[in-house]
Amino acid sequence: MHPLNWVIVIGWLGYVVVYGIWKSKGMKDLNGYVLANRSLPWWAVGLSVMATQLSAVTMIGTTGQGASDGLRFVQFYFGLPLAMVILGVTLVPFLHGSRVYTAYEYLERRFDAKTRSLTAFLFLLSRGMSCGVIVAAPAVVFSAIFGWPLAWCVAMIGVPAVLYTIIGGVQAVTWVDVKQMYLIVGALLAVVIALMFQIPASPRTVMQIAGQAGRLRAFDFSFTLTNQYTFWSGLIGGTFLMLSYFGTDQSQVQRYLAAKSVEEARTSLLISAYWKIPLQALVLMIGVLVFVFYQFHPQPLLFNPAQERAVQAAAPNVYGPMKARFDASTNRFEREAIRGTALQLAGDVTGKPASDVNYIIPRFVLEHLPIGLAGLFIAAVIAAAMNAISGELNSLSTTSVIDFYRRWIKPEASDAHFLVVSRLATAFWGIFACVVATYAANLGSLIEVVNRFGSFFYGSILGVFLLAMIPRAGALGAFVGLIAGMSVVASVNFGLPTFWVAWHDYAPKIAYLWQNVIGAVTVVVVGMLISQFRPRGAVPTLPAASDSRATALHP
Amino acid sequence: MSADGNTQFRRTLVRVMAVQIIALAILGLIQWRFSL
Repeated sequence: MHPLNWVIVIGWLGYVVVYGIWKSKGMKDLNGYVLANRSLPWWAVGLSVMATQLSAVTMIGTTGQGASDGLRFVQFYFGLPLAMVILGVTLVPFLHGSRVYTAYEYLERRFDAKTRSLTAFLFLLSRGMSCGVIVAAPAVVFSAIFGWPLAWCVAMIGVPAVLYTIIGGVQAVTWVDVKQMYLIVGALLAVVIALMFQIPASPRTVMQIAGQAGRLRAFDFSFTLTNQYTFWSGLIGGTFLMLSYFGTDQSQVQRYLAAKSVEEARTSLLISAYWKIPLQALVLMIGVLVFVFYQFHPQPLLFNPAQERAVQAAAPNVYGPMKARFDASTNRFEREAIRGTALQLAGDVTGKPASDVNYIIPRFVLEHLPIGLAGLFIAAVIAAAMNAISGELNSLSTTSVIDFYRRWIKPEASDAHFLVVSRLATAFWGIFACVVATYAANLGSLIEVVNRFGSFFYGSILGVFLLAMIPRAGALGAFVGLIAGMSVVASVNFGLPTFWVAWHDYAPKIAYLWQNVIGAVTVVVVGMLISQFRPRGAVPTLPAASDSRATALHP
Repeated sequence: MSADGNTQFRRTLVRVMAVQIIALAILGLIQWRFSL
């Protein structure tokens, strides 16, 4: 990469660290570190919520998906606006009004300590691992493209984010997120403009080429449980997933708990409702435009340079003629078939999954964007990774300290003590994420396992929060329902025992968006059935502050 | 929650839904015009 591009990247990293630390000056207690003293304006909270879910995977993976698969993925987000509206009138007033630090703390007030601890533990388990994956995904791509050791790439992303999160807590995370969102959206728009200038065709011709290749199909109205992205899975399954993610995941909840009031908290969520679908369509459209760009310019046979080098070295007599045939062909279907064969060959040679979707955009950016703009885009990818990891680290630290350390180990310690422990917990989770990222890259299937692992819990945890809003539901019902929900989703995911043959053949194919619906419904049904056996008059009131320390800290 | 807050939330809600309908209509139009 040109030195000027590196100046932009390093300059931006230095700027956000200094800015994050500067924005958190004057913060001196746990409430400031975890909830910014509930002083954040709605627009900053809203942008920060959006930034946390816009990771580097979105910048390089989703754009790559746009190039290889078109706009279809946008259906994944169709449930988001609906989910935000539902949360705005249900969970947000409950959680913000109950003056808790974590979403799981609320569950103890409503049910009992074991339901709180189990949900908090599941959050730590899945988010702790996914934090590593968030860093690993771009680090692997940078390592292959720049030829650097993976550990350096992990450090380039992880160290600045961990640094400002340790020092500044949620204030630093939120205000840096705001700045980085400006950078990310600016970089995306700049790439679209650059692409429009570089494609030698009118906008109408560009759209016709993309349309004929099936890249502009945003809607698939077929109703099937096995197809990953359809209008219905996005609208129904997506609503459940987004309800769970934004309503029960501490990395999101903590952000709107830091808002000044309930009104500001729920208005902040509507920013995502406003912009998520248009932003995601823009991200996918960049991929579509890159696909069209390569119809007019020479395209690499393999986008991953590391794979390309490995195949050239291991099978030069096969790869050379294949590349020549690919370059000479003008038939799109033949070119795609040759690319498929080359990817298969790369998979055989390297022993890793044969996919280079994540390399399409970085390769295009470095080889075809003007100097300066390439640096801006790489800085935006790192910014997206830092936004995601800093939000996660902050919430992991808060849950570790509030739901475990303060709840079970040292309930009577001072506020200053909890502040120190929170910073240590942030450092621990930061190092853990970087270590997982370094090793996850060599265990390709681990990334998939972690992603599937998270989907076990999302729907089920949402089910527990739904139960919390039903007055008749009891603590035992919530706990047993949660276990039942996760078990059913695990069965659907990995297959049921072999004696259940009919289901065993069908169940593993169910798309993961539907698993959120299955998990949530199972928890509510089982929870309510068990709660029917409770003695009359045992219905708890909402919210009953059982944690006197929490009440004292939030007068 | 204040009555003003609720009114403001409802207004924002209407705008959110309007933006989504416009976004989906544009995506649908693009698909209908260039893919079918």
